[in-house]
Amino acid sequence: MAVITVDQLSKRYDSTVAPAVKEVSFTVADREFMVLLGPSGCGKSTVLRMIAGLEPITAGTVSIDGKVMNQVPAKARDIAMVFQSYALYPHMKVYDNLAFGLRRRGIAVGEIDRRVRAAAAKLGLTEFLQRKPHALSGGQRQRVALGRAIVRDPKVFLFDEPLSNLDAALRVTTRNELIKQQREIGTTSIYVTHDQVEAMTMGDRICIMNLGEMVQIGRPLEVYRNPADTFVARFLGNPPMNLLQGRFAIDDGRAVARFAGRGVELTKRATASLTGYIGRKVIVGIRPEDLYETPHAGASMARLPARVAVVEPLGAETLLVLALEGSGEELIARIGRDTALRSGDRFEVALDTSAIHLFDPDTTKAIV
Amino acid sequence: MVAGMRFGFEQIRRLPLALFVLLYTVVTGGPFLWVATMSLRTTSEIFKDPYGYPSPAHWEKFADAWTKSNYHTYFWNSVVVVVIAVALVTVIGAMAAHCLARYRFRGNRLMRFLILSGLVLPPQLLILALFQILLDVNLYNTLTGLVVVYVATHIAMTVYILEGFFMQIPQDLFDAARMDGYSDFEIFWRVTMPVGAPAIFTTVTLNFIILWNEFLFAVVLLTDDDKRTLPLGIMHFMGSHQLDVGMVATGLMIAILPVILIYGFFSETMIKGMTAGAVR
Amino acid sequence: MSISTRFWGFFGRNSAKPETDARCAGLGILVAFLAPALLFYAGFAIYPVIRTIYNSFHAIKPHGVVEFVGVSNFTTLLFADATFWKAVGNTALFTIVATILDVFGGLLLALCLFARAPFAGLLRVVWFTPVLMSYVVVGVIWVWIYDYDWGLANAILRWLGLGAFEQSWLGHPSTALWSVLGAHVWKWLGFNMIVFLAALYALPGEVLGAAELDNCGWVAKLVYIIVPMLRATIVNLLVLSFIGKMMVFDLIWIMTGGGPLWSTETVSTYVYKRAFEWNTFDLGYPSAIAVLWFVIILAFIAVMTQLLRQRDKLEF
Repeated sequence: MAVITVDQLSKRYDSTVAPAVKEVSFTVADREFMVLLGPSGCGKSTVLRMIAGLEPITAGTVSIDGKVMNQVPAKARDIAMVFQSYALYPHMKVYDNLAFGLRRRGIAVGEIDRRVRAAAAKLGLTEFLQRKPHALSGGQRQRVALGRAIVRDPKVFLFDEPLSNLDAALRVTTRNELIKQQREIGTTSIYVTHDQVEAMTMGDRICIMNLGEMVQIGRPLEVYRNPADTFVARFLGNPPMNLLQGRFAIDDGRAVARFAGRGVELTKRATASLTGYIGRKVIVGIRPEDLYETPHAGASMARLPARVAVVEPLGAETLLVLALEGSGEELIARIGRDTALRSGDRFEVALDTSAIHLFDPDTTKAIV
Repeated sequence: MVAGMRFGFEQIRRLPLALFVLLYTVVTGGPFLWVATMSLRTTSEIFKDPYGYPSPAHWEKFADAWTKSNYHTYFWNSVVVVVIAVALVTVIGAMAAHCLARYRFRGNRLMRFLILSGLVLPPQLLILALFQILLDVNLYNTLTGLVVVYVATHIAMTVYILEGFFMQIPQDLFDAARMDGYSDFEIFWRVTMPVGAPAIFTTVTLNFIILWNEFLFAVVLLTDDDKRTLPLGIMHFMGSHQLDVGMVATGLMIAILPVILIYGFFSETMIKGMTAGAVR
Repeated sequence: MSISTRFWGFFGRNSAKPETDARCAGLGILVAFLAPALLFYAGFAIYPVIRTIYNSFHAIKPHGVVEFVGVSNFTTLLFADATFWKAVGNTALFTIVATILDVFGGLLLALCLFARAPFAGLLRVVWFTPVLMSYVVVGVIWVWIYDYDWGLANAILRWLGLGAFEQSWLGHPSTALWSVLGAHVWKWLGFNMIVFLAALYALPGEVLGAAELDNCGWVAKLVYIIVPMLRATIVNLLVLSFIGKMMVFDLIWIMTGGGPLWSTETVSTYVYKRAFEWNTFDLGYPSAIAVLWFVIILAFIAVMTQLLRQRDKLEF
């Protein structure tokens, strides 16, 4: 049972430069798996290290189960952490690596042995207990690092990009393994990553950070469907959301976004929040998967004349890089794999108008 | 066919190389072999034919050299001084290197500069004042005094090599140990030292060889015969057996053999140790 | 470098955290870690330096008699001490010749082994042996080699039918310095060879391969590719060797004691003699020599690093 509350947390290394972390607040529920996502240097690791107690807190509080932890040293917080480089002690056997943290805590030798063997069995490390880290593969080392956290049976797990040193294939299997373990043990966890796929697949919720600030927090699909600003819109999703210059207008009482030389009626949208934008510039966001080669029935579709610049057949699907005739802007579309389109072809790309996102060009925030 | 011809040509082209290599091997190894033969022959045999094969081999000369002079004293003095000095300089140097590599603090750069400036201090600049200072503190002509001087003069090199290595130990390792509940000193002793073992090993080898061979400090700071270290002992032995070339050769061999033996087992470590400061 | 890269390989990408306060520590901890080193160092390295500088402006006589003499030690040294200038000349000659022989001889040996000479792995170990020997051992062996009656040097000359050239190598003022120099180079060649060999193996194989494809002969490859890429190592060894030779003492002291007729007197042996052998009983004057020489060494280091390291940044 552990609830982590982070309140107005800030970190400043040097009073002359901007803070590394600015007033971040969130709560991680008991047994929840929270992902901190953002590009490198956004402050997510610093938040994690402040929760761990490795980094002094400049302002704000970190609490576990309602108890403020700011002044509690790292070792007394009952937190275990998995590091990006695994931080395995290279001179110790796997067994001792797992036991090292327990020996310091006055736990009986028999109990340490029992816990180490249980964790090793759970992670399939039993046969490697007498090996040293350098004699293990990358994936095995990663499991030892995880095992070192598990044996401690702490209130909280912290993960600092634990998969980024693995190759792509191993990353996927380890990802699933890690999630399975966490669900089974049920320890409250915070997981830092810059990989949006990891965030989407692993997190109960994700918290997106940029330039030291928290931008958006929510369930993965919620955030994906309703990005709070253009940063989140581009950061989540691959290829990222297309952003086009546009203008908002009311035509005959219908809400219309004008972009790429066309006026597109916005369907299924509350016009109330849009009234302030009449006649003003907006940013129009369209996800690549909401673009089609031909319109299909049942949805309200608009069409934009475009020229195919590049065709990238990926097998399961095909990506098109399009140059819009109306504005010259570039657009990426993800369409079916059976397209006959070639580079240089001109056609009218179809667009699901109910999937259009609008952002304020000044604040970059979404207009809802 | 063509390959065969090219091979033959290649062999001829490489002949001068092989000859040169052989010649230089004789130049480095020859003198040692010569001393080895002389160490088993009597002086009169040597003067009759300086380059003869030792027959009969006078093995008893080794026992004579060891017992009839103060050789065993010199040998043990060297062992005591060098082992204690190397142990001290390694631990003290590693502590300083750990501190400079691991912690950020005001004055870090100043401390590093201060300690590493010792790399360019010539022994000649220190020796006259050290003579006075050791007299002042009653350590002149003592093995303790020599140990203290050896530690002080070899800290810079030790810190230089260890700090470079310790800096590359990932910070994560220290963070992990901290979360496991280890104090700063325990982290030094149980993480930095064992993880830095390869570099520690290098500095131990380097300091050991340098101090085992050290001459200038010892010759100035020691006077009693029973305090002499091995290099001084050989010098003294040579002085008192000036004309007994055969005996001096035996004495030399006693000094050479341990080095050659250890080198046989740890050649790579010793090479690495001796060149640690220069290879980059 | 080489040990550490091999050793850290298994950590994968090194996650250096450029900014972290986790590296802070209390004053007590810093002092505890640094104090032992600083105490030894301050007491028996820094204090002696300061005391030597102090001594150089004084006459230090026995029974604690200390007299301030201003810069007179230095003026005597510079304008009225022929032996000192003889020692400077000898040291300069020794330093320059031995440094060049050491460094380029070492490069030559390294190239021999790098060119896949037979038994290269074994020879590398054998050739390094003299480096491990003490100056006393090397000195005695070479005193014998140079012996007029039964030494190897004269024996080889006689064997080659060049008996007319036989010499009392260490006994004659015109050959003594060169003879000691030969022994010194013999001891240190292996050291430079190993360092060069390490540098050669660290060269990127692609570049050497590319030179091969450019139909580069081995001389051209050496001159245009290998030597320029080894520049940093060459500079490093030149400076290192230079400093070492400016302070040369042990081997000369053991082989000739500075004689005959001051022909092998170096600055260091002269300092030692003035302090502990002559009956002048004054530590001030030799201190002045040591201080002056240290300043000159520092100046040389500064000049050499400036001259040689300017275009040091070679990327490959």
